Formats: sequence, structure tokens, C-alpha cells
Amino acid sequence: MIESQVRALFTAIASSEPGTSHVNTQLAHRRGRARLRWRRAGVAGAPIAAAVAVAAVVLAVGAAAPHRPAGPVSTGPSAPRQFNVLAPYLSFGWLPPGISMMQGGTGRQLVWVTAAHRLAPGLDWSPATEWSVNVDAAGKCHLTTAPSGTRTSTAPRPGPSIPPGTKGLNCSTPAQKGYPIPITGRAPAVSGHRAFWGGYHTFAGEPNQYLIWQYARNGWAEMALPFILHNPAKQAAAQRDAVKMASQIRYGVATPLLFPVQLTNLPSRWQVASVTYWPHGKVLRARSYSLGAGPPDLGFDGGLQYETGLPYFTIDPATRRTNNCYADPHHSTREVINGYRVVLTDNRIPNRHDLCAGDADGLSLDISQFGAHPAISVAEIFGHHMRLLGRNPANWTSKPIG
Amino acid sequence: MSGSRDAEYTEYVAARLTSLRRLAAVLCDDWQRADDLVQAALVKLYVHWGRVRAASHTDAYARAVLVREFIHERRSTWVKRVSLSGGVADAPAAAVDHDAVLDLRAAVAALPARQRATLVLRFYCDLNVDQSAEILGCSPGTVKSQTARALDAVRRALGPAIAGEPGGQPATRVVHHTGEGAPGHD
Repeated sequence: MIESQVRALFTAIASSEPGTSHVNTQLAHRRGRARLRWRRAGVAGAPIAAAVAVAAVVLAVGAAAPHRPAGPVSTGPSAPRQFNVLAPYLSFGWLPPGISMMQGGTGRQLVWVTAAHRLAPGLDWSPATEWSVNVDAAGKCHLTTAPSGTRTSTAPRPGPSIPPGTKGLNCSTPAQKGYPIPITGRAPAVSGHRAFWGGYHTFAGEPNQYLIWQYARNGWAEMALPFILHNPAKQAAAQRDAVKMASQIRYGVATPLLFPVQLTNLPSRWQVASVTYWPHGKVLRARSYSLGAGPPDLGFDGGLQYETGLPYFTIDPATRRTNNCYADPHHSTREVINGYRVVLTDNRIPNRHDLCAGDADGLSLDISQFGAHPAISVAEIFGHHMRLLGRNPANWTSKPIG
Repeated sequence: MSGSRDAEYTEYVAARLTSLRRLAAVLCDDWQRADDLVQAALVKLYVHWGRVRAASHTDAYARAVLVREFIHERRSTWVKRVSLSGGVADAPAAAVDHDAVLDLRAAVAALPARQRATLVLRFYCDLNVDQSAEILGCSPGTVKSQTARALDAVRRALGPAIAGEPGGQPATRVVHHTGEGAPGHD
């Protein structure tokens, strides 16, 4: 039987495991965090050599970056106290050759945008070329000096201590709290505002470097630079590019994000709480977003903050690659709602409910919700509270809740 | 929340890395590429950890992420590269040379990614048709047809003498993979 031969072949391959694994779980973890956007200088199981590495980065950066002092922003416009989650607020004014904007996100206290070298249309981008900027709302971040015992990470194992006296950028947003960025040196001023280099070396020895600057009164921004190993010339070039990019970032961008669906007849307190968006032709398409009814709480999934009992969404134009829904054999059911085939999944621990529609009027969408007793179930949201607007951006809306 | 998430993720990966690497190796038939595949899958696993840990069968979800990443990667970068020199993806059996036809490993390696993934799920992971369908995101009928086509392609690649000889010796000649000769492997 050919089947038995194939089994034998697979078993032989699996049992021929070489001794050395090249999988870098720390790196995967860190890149995962980077994808979530809600990361800061900490990496789980943080770098054992971080304290030493921080000092090394200080020396390296100190040598590479010209000292150009600039004072704090004491005058001029203040940073927003809260962002409008339906507009990007910031955009790149200049990018290095071959780099383009990949995605962005908005929250009430934090907005971000990412640029990278695109691998191919519709594909992911290369993490090695990724630039990412976070801009925080007024008063959310402060330069502080690390007291004795401060660590670069709190999970899952406490990371090494940051040397007492090290300055760091500490932010209080739920997504960033507890992950200070150690300051490693002074950077050239960004548009006349004071700026610093920050970061640490990962367990794998990669420099995780940031440019930190005060973009407005009482407001800080941070740019994560691409990971460049063992190439001082490229690192220096990346630093120059970072300062140029940061200097030409546009703030206050009010271009509306466009949503491929519109929610209707929801409780009046329900509002969009956070959004991730992607460029889609000439528009910015809201790809995933969450609803909130009060102060943001809980955790993150795929870059979104979510709130108990309220839904969050991921929506893409349906393609052959995305029109499949994963169904848990034990907790999923297949149903037809409004003529669309969906997979409903309920998990008890934790209480999580999902609806996946592989192709609903040309859209592939997921609705997720935590909580034992949601006010409106994911099936009801899809069936009675959602207008599908199709694949054509001309029909999309800037008002996700009608 | 983040700490809990990180701790769970790290613990899971540490416990399952070996089995994920083995599965990836069977999919890729190349340990170096397998490690690349696992590396990419782990990033996605972290990004979607909120969903993964909510699933009742974390292993099944992780396996699905890995298999889909394999198919996606083959469909995007690998297929483009190979199609420039041979176009074997559309005609796997005809794309291997005479010597490779005698090699079960080469025959399986020449299968399109989805067919190979189907065989791996059925004959390495020992999943039934329904379970394989869930992971591949297709119907059970498609799994059956993909399995049949894949096995048929392997039979044809091994030639008529082997096709009629269940358990024929040439088919079990598992050679040490060199990374060459089998389409789809760098």
C-alpha cells in the first residue's frame, strides 16, 4: 500500500531530527509583540545580558550620534488629551527608498503607524525592514529615572534589573504600562524637539533600538528601528533615516478611515475604541476594530484592545485565501444567517464567542466577544446589527456605527 | 493580562517546540526550512494567542497555523520561484526526472503544497478526514479528493512497476535529503 510507504517516509523524516534547532523563540515572541504594536522595551524572559547590553548601546550610540542638545517643548501646541480613533492622526512625510506604509492603528491614548519593505502585494512584510512609530496622548509618558529593582520586563520571568539611575520613558497606557524603554543616549533633535536613543539588546543579541522624541508639549513619540545585526554602517544609516523620518511626520491627519460594514441599532454608549487600518488603494481601510462602552480594559488580540461583553471585528475583502473559517470540532457549529454561511464557536473557558463568515457579500469577517452574558450575541450582531457594504471602497463608510 | 499571555505562550512553545518542528520538517522535508516555517508560525501564534488560548484544543489550533503558513508560503514565494524554472506545481508527476521518479521522497516532495499537507495530516498526524478538513479549511470531500490525487500522483511518479507492487522496495528507499533534486526545496 502506498499509504504505508508514505507513513514510513514521514516517520523517517520526523525522526531524523538534527541536534540543533534554529528556531529562536525569543525572536518569535518579540516579533509577535511587535506585530501587536502594543509592545514596549520588554520581552518575555527578557534578555539576560540586557543590563550589560544597555550600557554597551549607550557607548555605541554615544559614539555614533552627534550631540545636538534641544530643550523640552515648553511652548507650542499641547499633545491631544485623547485621539479620535476614526482618523489616523499621524502619517509619514518621508520614508527611505523601497519602504512604504503598511498599517496603522488608533486608540484613545495611543496611535501608531508602521512602514516596511513590502514582499509582494497581499503578502506580509519583512520584519527586518520594519519601522514603527507610536505617538502617545498628552501626559501618558514621562521620562523617569529607574529606581533600584526596576526590570525591563515583568513576564513571564522577571528580566534583569535596569541599572539604578538609568533614565527611561515610562508610559501609563494599559498597553504600555510596565515596559519602560531605557534611554541609551542623546539623539539629534527632531524638528527642534529633544530626542533620545533608547533600547536594549535582545536575548538573541539583536539591538532593539528606539528613537524617542517629544512631539508636542506634554506628548512623547517613539520609533522602533529595523533590526540590524553586526553592521555599524547600516545602523548609523538607519539612525539618520530615523531622525529624518521623525522630523517629517505629519500630525493631526484627519483623513477618515473607511469601514466595509456599518453597525446599526446598538446601545448608545457603544463606541469604536481602537482600530487597525491598512492602505487599500487610495483609502485607509479599517481592518480590525473593537467597541468600548467605558474606560478601556482587559487585554489585546491581534493588536486590538477589547472589552468584556463587547465585540471586536476583523474584516477583509474575501479572497480564496481568506474565505475559510476554522471550526473547532467540539465547540463550533455551522449556520446560515441572512443567507451567509457562518461558523459559530463558543468556548466556556474563557467565555469567548466567535462568528466567522468566509464570504459575506464579498467580505471575510470575524466577530469575537468575551464574557458570559454579552448584551448582544455575535450571531445577533451579524444578523441584525450589521450592514455589509461590499468590496467596493466607494461604498464604504467613515461612520462605523450608524 | 500581558504577563499572563506571555507566560502562557512561552510555556506552550517550550513544551511543544519539538513536535512543531517535526511536523514542519515533514511538511517541508528540510529541517532548515522547517525551522523557518516554525519561526514564522510562532509569530502568528503569538499575535493570535488570545484566540489560540481560548480554543479548547490549542494543539489543533497551533497545527492549523503551521499548516496554513506552509501552504501560504508555498503558494506565494516558493511557487513563484519554481514556476520560473519549471512550473512543476501544476504538473508534479511530470516534473521529476527519471531517477527521482523512483524515489518516494522526491515524488512526495513534488506534490503541490496542499496535497502534501493533506497527506501529512492524514498519515503523519493520523487525523481523520473531518479533522483534516477543519485544519485545511475545506470540506471533507476535498480532503478525500486531495488525498486520492496525491496518492495517485505518487503512484504514477513511482512508475508502473512499483504501482503494482505494494510495499515495493524502491518506494521505501528513504534517502538522506540533500536539499537538491526535489522541486520546491532550496
